Amino acid sequence: MAAVYKALSQPDSKVPKSEGDKATRQRVLILSSRGVTFRQRHLLNDIHFLLPHSRKEAKLDTKTKLYQLNELAELYNCNNVLFFEARKGKDLYAWMSKPPNGPTVKFHVQNMHTTDELHFTGNCLKGSRPILSFDATFESAPHLQVIKELLAQTFGVPKGARKSKPFVDHVMGFTVADGKVWVRCYQINETADNKAQALPEGDVPEAEAPKRGETSIGLVEIGPRFVLTPIVILEGSFGGPVIFENKEFVSPNAIRADLIKSKAGRFNRRAEAETQSRVKRGAFGLTTHGGTKAERDPLDNRELFA
Amino acid sequence: MGKPKLKAALENLKGVDHKLEKQKKLRKKAEKEKKVKLQQKGGLEPEEGDDAETGGVALEPKKSVKGKKNGEKAPEKPAEDEQWETESEEDDDKPRYDLSRLDDSDTSGDDEDFADEDGAPDAEEEEDEDDEEEQEDIALSDIESLASEDKGDIVPYQRLTINNTAALLAAHKRIALPLSKLPFSAHHSVITAEPVQIADIDDDLNRELAFYAQSLSAVRKARALLKSEGAPFARPVDYFAEMVKSDEHMGKVKARLIEDAARKKASAEARRQRDLKKFGKQVQVAKQQERDKAKRETVEKINILKRKRAGAAITAENEPDQFDVEIEDAAVTHRKDRDERKKGGPDRSGKSNPKRRKKDEKFGFGGKKRHNKSGDAESSADFRGFSHAKMKGKPLGGAKKGGQRPGKARRQKAF
Repeated sequence: MAAVYKALSQPDSKVPKSEGDKATRQRVLILSSRGVTFRQRHLLNDIHFLLPHSRKEAKLDTKTKLYQLNELAELYNCNNVLFFEARKGKDLYAWMSKPPNGPTVKFHVQNMHTTDELHFTGNCLKGSRPILSFDATFESAPHLQVIKELLAQTFGVPKGARKSKPFVDHVMGFTVADGKVWVRCYQINETADNKAQALPEGDVPEAEAPKRGETSIGLVEIGPRFVLTPIVILEGSFGGPVIFENKEFVSPNAIRADLIKSKAGRFNRRAEAETQSRVKRGAFGLTTHGGTKAERDPLDNRELFA
Repeated sequence: MGKPKLKAALENLKGVDHKLEKQKKLRKKAEKEKKVKLQQKGGLEPEEGDDAETGGVALEPKKSVKGKKNGEKAPEKPAEDEQWETESEEDDDKPRYDLSRLDDSDTSGDDEDFADEDGAPDAEEEEDEDDEEEQEDIALSDIESLASEDKGDIVPYQRLTINNTAALLAAHKRIALPLSKLPFSAHHSVITAEPVQIADIDDDLNRELAFYAQSLSAVRKARALLKSEGAPFARPVDYFAEMVKSDEHMGKVKARLIEDAARKKASAEARRQRDLKKFGKQVQVAKQQERDKAKRETVEKINILKRKRAGAAITAENEPDQFDVEIEDAAVTHRKDRDERKKGGPDRSGKSNPKRRKKDEKFGFGGKKRHNKSGDAESSADFRGFSHAKMKGKPLGGAKKGGQRPGKARRQKAF
């Protein structure tokens, strides 16, 4: 079937295959560091499935010498790198970079749910090109612009990518909310209009409702879901000066430390209160041992008849 | 833990004396200081230095004993023991490992690590830091670019906010795709007209709805653009290819949906049963009452009919009336029969108190209930159900069936 389609669409595809394709040619190297949990690995797999222009690599051994990724990317002819760095078996950081000399963004990945654990009914062709839906907030700040560009080039499947399919059946949504980038993936579900009118579509306003004879569009979520908190943007690829730093970002380590400290604080407070009360009691001269004795009155019998 | 041990072993091997080393270092330092002093003063006041030396000289006799312990004094003295001199020279001849250097390299390594890691910012974030401070302090990122000699002096103690707009814009410009020149089918990226506003980020439903709406509007826009460019959009129904989710996974999803539905149904059924149980008693009582009411009505009807007939013949309240075909009801007749029999005949009922009769009817007659169904003299004498023909074993409709079976010979002849 695919071959037939290709043969039929051959004359069409020859025309636009020119500079436009070259400009948008992307290849993404996807890999993780050592020490990823199975969920993190599954997330990586999910993303790899969605991106036919990606190349999955074996886990990177080092967590400090990330500049090695540049060489790896060059080796595989990749001009994008999506690197998942796992720390402490629980925190996941995602690096997105344009290898030769482009900027690098480091994200903290939170609220991560793989396709496996989300029982969504949506499904799409493996290798179909997604529509990338960006929130207008992305244009509001320069660092968000950089992030948007990186996301677009990493997650946008270029036209004519090797294993890509010619149809559009899913959409990836990137929204900035609460200083984080929320990523969702939906299947585009087209239904004939007469059927669709029987379906309750509450969230579509009347004006937008499709006219007769057209098909109506609905979305069904596919997965995965994750939230990216930008941490830093480096000028180079896995190196170079820091050109943006997120002040609002609090490292998960700090949060955990604070939790522990707050727990320790409770004990410390109690211990301190105890010593204080002991000192206070000593000052009253009520204890037989230790503490300060109350001063004797000069008119006391023991003083007068001493 | 490994390092100190290793170092100690190394020292043992090389026979390095710590105290000696220290002294030597201090001496060198002192010499350097002196040199500096001399340079500063331009050699004008050598006497002061001499004075200090004489002070040192005064202590000289003790020095050989104390020298090892009291490292501070020893380097001040220019006139040193010959022994020390020679020893140090010997040391110099040996190939030595500068341990202090080793330490330095370690720390510098740590610094580098730190510098690498501060991509992942730590908690020591000082929010109350202002922009004015930013300009005065040296940013952490700039420290990296400084020469290594200068690095040692600067203590990066604060994290600063960095938002280098110019660099960001330059970086963006460098990697940005020329979206305006490209056809939509080349990049597929849509941006909403207005920023998506989410009032409460923790409100899952509304948040997801906002995401959904954003994507849906993007799809509408993209679909129109792609159609205008003549690019294919929807997958034809007969186009089959590998999907992102495997059949196995979709099967699981389906099974889950079915299970969900089944569970919902089961729980609804269980609730219905519970409710039924709760109200079952009431229903039962209501039903009983209804049945009783129906019975009462029937009895009333019978009584009315009886009274009508009584108007015609008051005297005949005997058997023929009882078995009147018009009003015969199987249950009623049966009960009446039974009651009569219990009372010992129909004539007795006339005598008894009507209230008593009613009560007997309602609550039962009393007396023994045993052998109620067994035959007694009366039932034996009752020949109503007796049929002579039945007893003789004659077929009831014998004539109709064509008489007796013919004999064997006749039957055989017939065939």
